[in-house]
Amino acid sequence: MSTLESLLKEKVLLLDGGMGTQIFARKPTVDDFGGPALEGCMELLNERRPEWIRDIHASYFAAGSDAVETNTFGCNEVVLGEFGLAHRVEELNALAVALAREAAADFAGPRFVIGSVGPGTKLVTLGHVSPAVLYASYLAQMRGLVRAGADAILIETCQDLGQIKAAVRAARAAMAELQRRVPLWVQATVEATGTLLLGSDIAAVLTTLEPLGVDLLGLNCATGPDEMHAHLAHLAAASPFPISCLPNAGLPLNEGGRTVYPLGPDAFAEKVLASAKEFHLNVVGGCCGTTPEHIRALKQRLGSLAPVHRTPAAERSVASLYQSVPLRQEPRPLIVGERTNANGSRLFRDLLAQEDFDAMVGVAKEQQREGAHLLDVCVAFVGRDEVRDMEAFLKKAVTQVTLPLMIDSTELPVIEKALQTAPGKCLVNSINLEDGEARARAVLALCREYGAGVVALTIDEEGMAKTVERKLAVARRLVDLAVNQAGLDPGDLILDPLTFTLGSGEEGFRRSAVATLEAIQAIKERWPGVLTLLGVSNVSFGLKPAARHPLNSLMLYHAVKAGLDLAIFNASKVMPVAGIPEAERRALEDLIFDRRAEGYDPLKVVLSLYEGATLAARKGSRAGLGIGERLRLDIVEGDKRTIVADVEEARATIPPLDIINLHLLEGMRVVGERFGAGEMQLPFVLESAEAMKAAIAHLEPHMPREGGKSKGRLLLATVKGDVHDIGKNLVDIILSNNGYEVRNLGIKQPVEAILKALEEWPADAIGLSGLLVKSTVIMKENLEYMASLGLQVPVILGGAALTRNFVEQDCQAVYSGPVLYAADAFEGLRHMEALASGAPPVSAPRAAEPAIRVLRRGEGRVALDGRDRSSWIQDSGPPPEPPFWGAVERADPLQDIYAFLDEFVVIRNRWSFTQGKLPDEAFRDLLEQKAEPLLAAWKARLLAEPLLQPRARYGYFPVRAEGDRLKVFDPERRTQLSEWRFPRQAGGRRLCIADFFTPEPGAFDLLALQVVTMGQGAAEHAARLYAENRYADYFYFHGLATELTEAYAELLHARIRQELGLQSRDAADLRQLFNQGYQGSRYSFGYPACPDLEGNGPLLELLDAQNLGIALTEGFQMTPEYTTCALVAWHPQARYFSV
Amino acid sequence: MSAPVQVHFELEDLLVEAPEGTSLQAIVEASGADVTFGCRNGSCGTCRIRVLRGLEHCSEAGPEERDFLAALGAPPDHRLACQVRLLGDVDIAYLGPP
Repeated sequence: MSTLESLLKEKVLLLDGGMGTQIFARKPTVDDFGGPALEGCMELLNERRPEWIRDIHASYFAAGSDAVETNTFGCNEVVLGEFGLAHRVEELNALAVALAREAAADFAGPRFVIGSVGPGTKLVTLGHVSPAVLYASYLAQMRGLVRAGADAILIETCQDLGQIKAAVRAARAAMAELQRRVPLWVQATVEATGTLLLGSDIAAVLTTLEPLGVDLLGLNCATGPDEMHAHLAHLAAASPFPISCLPNAGLPLNEGGRTVYPLGPDAFAEKVLASAKEFHLNVVGGCCGTTPEHIRALKQRLGSLAPVHRTPAAERSVASLYQSVPLRQEPRPLIVGERTNANGSRLFRDLLAQEDFDAMVGVAKEQQREGAHLLDVCVAFVGRDEVRDMEAFLKKAVTQVTLPLMIDSTELPVIEKALQTAPGKCLVNSINLEDGEARARAVLALCREYGAGVVALTIDEEGMAKTVERKLAVARRLVDLAVNQAGLDPGDLILDPLTFTLGSGEEGFRRSAVATLEAIQAIKERWPGVLTLLGVSNVSFGLKPAARHPLNSLMLYHAVKAGLDLAIFNASKVMPVAGIPEAERRALEDLIFDRRAEGYDPLKVVLSLYEGATLAARKGSRAGLGIGERLRLDIVEGDKRTIVADVEEARATIPPLDIINLHLLEGMRVVGERFGAGEMQLPFVLESAEAMKAAIAHLEPHMPREGGKSKGRLLLATVKGDVHDIGKNLVDIILSNNGYEVRNLGIKQPVEAILKALEEWPADAIGLSGLLVKSTVIMKENLEYMASLGLQVPVILGGAALTRNFVEQDCQAVYSGPVLYAADAFEGLRHMEALASGAPPVSAPRAAEPAIRVLRRGEGRVALDGRDRSSWIQDSGPPPEPPFWGAVERADPLQDIYAFLDEFVVIRNRWSFTQGKLPDEAFRDLLEQKAEPLLAAWKARLLAEPLLQPRARYGYFPVRAEGDRLKVFDPERRTQLSEWRFPRQAGGRRLCIADFFTPEPGAFDLLALQVVTMGQGAAEHAARLYAENRYADYFYFHGLATELTEAYAELLHARIRQELGLQSRDAADLRQLFNQGYQGSRYSFGYPACPDLEGNGPLLELLDAQNLGIALTEGFQMTPEYTTCALVAWHPQARYFSV
Repeated sequence: MSAPVQVHFELEDLLVEAPEGTSLQAIVEASGADVTFGCRNGSCGTCRIRVLRGLEHCSEAGPEERDFLAALGAPPDHRLACQVRLLGDVDIAYLGPP
């Protein structure tokens, strides 16, 4: 007899559709519920209208459902309590199960009853209900469902990680109590925003649930099937659990006050089936708006689809309410912020004493800004109630801070309270074997119950392990305890081999750092899955601050080399080791590695080196510079790390606004000058901008309420129909880090939207950008429109297709306000500065564009022949035979695409590493030491992380030309599928793309088509980098991804030429290849031979490009970004030309 | 005020006059000559031309353009049109595939 679990292995299971919709279809009255006080209590209908419920279940079974969900969505104490029915929870759950079971009995084949558990009406993470009450509420429901014989428990429509955990714990407790184990399924609801209601993304959900060992994790409700793709993709790639998907019948529309779900049964079923195949789902069904018809349609298509075995790969991670953070960070280490620790931070401790929990959360947020990945939270304060303080702090922190937490306490009640309050996956700091194993076991049990990882210190009954051997011996016991006995995943165990201070000079501790470093290495070798952690600042305890920073930094540096994964330290108190002067570094490293010799004690040297030294002077080559100069240097050198420490130091004596205006902006001005002079390249400019941003972020909480006066306001937009925005984003970065307020409206902005934004946000200038030639026309039209409204606000135009002449002559002519051309972001900045100071707009001092006259035009004019094609074209002979007709799909590995990557273009053009005014030597050095290694690192990273998902479709079609038209036929050659009309040159060789194909009536020529994309994830990653102010990475990633898209197009083009037998004519050298050392030209719409982007439509349709998630904007550009398509003509004379 | 220069586009027998120092790109755009541009900053090669006469009248190639053409093994009379300013009369052919 099949069980639910065995059936899951055999086929994709079909659940039912919406219950609520079906009940409402029966138009329940107040009477049906049993009175006004009970109206809306759906669960009561199990008792009052059992025939309805039974019929609904039966209708789904009849439609083909393998299992139905009981009508118990709100059947728990909290929800039923609203109707005064809390005491009947178990009874009503049991009744619902019985009804479903009765319905199932009438149908052949294995049919199952799934106990549905809804999220309830109160959000525990927002404090609407206490965890204890919620747990008890679910416990009653779980008892009812399990005792009554439900085949599985489904905790569904989840919006709050805290609620999921409470329900899972209640289910486990009920099963243990009743000695009956059933599969435990969980489904989250991801809203159209891309997160759960409380803001958790799907990665955070998976990370949080993974250690709880549920039996299935899926999605239901809120959206239709399409909107779930990205989230299902993540689960498919990373989740070890079977996946379910129960979408709504589309995104609901509001039609005259009624909610209408747009997807009919067939459309719904098609989409769900497609998802089932693409994402290897195990369970499907429907939610709101779906009916037995939807299920029937799905059943027809599903048949007995077999489940596909996945091999998910997920990195060990922790999670906050909002996001998942991998424990292995590159570059290492993962930084655990140490300032939210009452034992370690005087500030935090004082705030705790004052019970200023809001300010304590402020400290946590600062750590977030300083780059910590995790926060160590400790509220231990002698004489205070640690449990109460932990709860009070966490309740505020978990919703306001996006970082996952490390619960730092040794008290079990505190740990438990913390794990109940923190909704994500935490780490518990820490366990050890000081008092034997009992306490450690108790903590590990809590970790298992709440799904947390643990930090374990190498301390046993004999005390703290100081030698490598002892550390490993204790480590072995800890690994056994945590992994083998308690069942934690090795990646959730983090060993801390202890850091002792080297500052005391005590003999017993002289080699402690060496032992720690060796222990880290040994741990990584012996237990490869386990992670390591150090509290780095302990190594310098007792020394002066000036000595502590470099010592901590060096210890961290060597520990990471030895394999350290996580470190607890204050990011602003650690410096890059390259900044430590040579003599100091040697002494400090001799101290770490205990290189004492006759008459030489590195500790003495260190003490004397830092005798009387204050932190301010310790900046190596910056010794002797004032704080203002150092801030400027931080900007110019793009020093994101040290600038925060320097800003902090400056705050003691300089008001925040002066820091910005006198020093930071001055640094940016120098950057601008150097860029303009060709001495500094754009990538470095971006690093400076990042440093600026970090400094401003650090100053923000200390600025006066009204904020500084900005230098001016710029409203930025990419014009309608244009999706290109890297240039505009660079302008945003440069201007906002130079003291201007920028409102960046984004891409594809029609002029009406821009002007509306201007009304709400009066600006000193509007900046319009766009890549396409078409956008230049739109810009001029926008100006005409604005002129007709009588506007005179200055407008700055930027874009690759613009020329200075066009802007300063043609565009200025139609508008009475200033129209300014900006060749790059810095010229835009100069314009803004001129506007702000009231000076007349700066334009390059040049005369009007010189008069250019055509003296003679094409006497040797080529004529059109009898078939209306250029007579320059000769007959090509019969076309080659393609290997297949129609389109096929490919996913080429990135490694293969690298072979076609034009690294020169990446480095010199995309990444703007230009020589400028640099001497040859210096430029060579720049390339060899910065640009080339950077490219190598990015290439390696893209191979390791699935940021780019290259996919392509290409194929061959029969075609015939007719004058300027190219007609495309289906491979059976009977019907015309599509056609293009191409423009023809008016002069010169009178060429037209159609000329490269036969015009003979009845004959067929060959056209190849291709489209390549790097995938939606790539576009999202770029957007994420930008949103996180990681300008340099954004710039590099965007440039490389764009060029890789081109490379993929080259690869595919080469493949086509090979398949057509044209390969023998390829030039061996790749560079010649890019400049047409081959036969068979590739044409993309938007380029000179076929400038009209509308042509993309038919091309993508012929290739079924929507299967790759590719679509066209209303401006006929392709989305997602990093997508390109082309036609390939095999005619020997096909070449590039301009129309 | 210096004498105007003349540019002859071989492929289509187009003769254009412009003031000395005008960029070839501006001349192509103003006259509609059959020269296709790509990146317009000397690193993609789409606008490669052969200077049939008057190579000495073209502005000197910068380091980027030199590097680019050298990597192609291009003969000295090849230039990237987007980088050229005219100092005298020239005769050019837009390079297509061999």
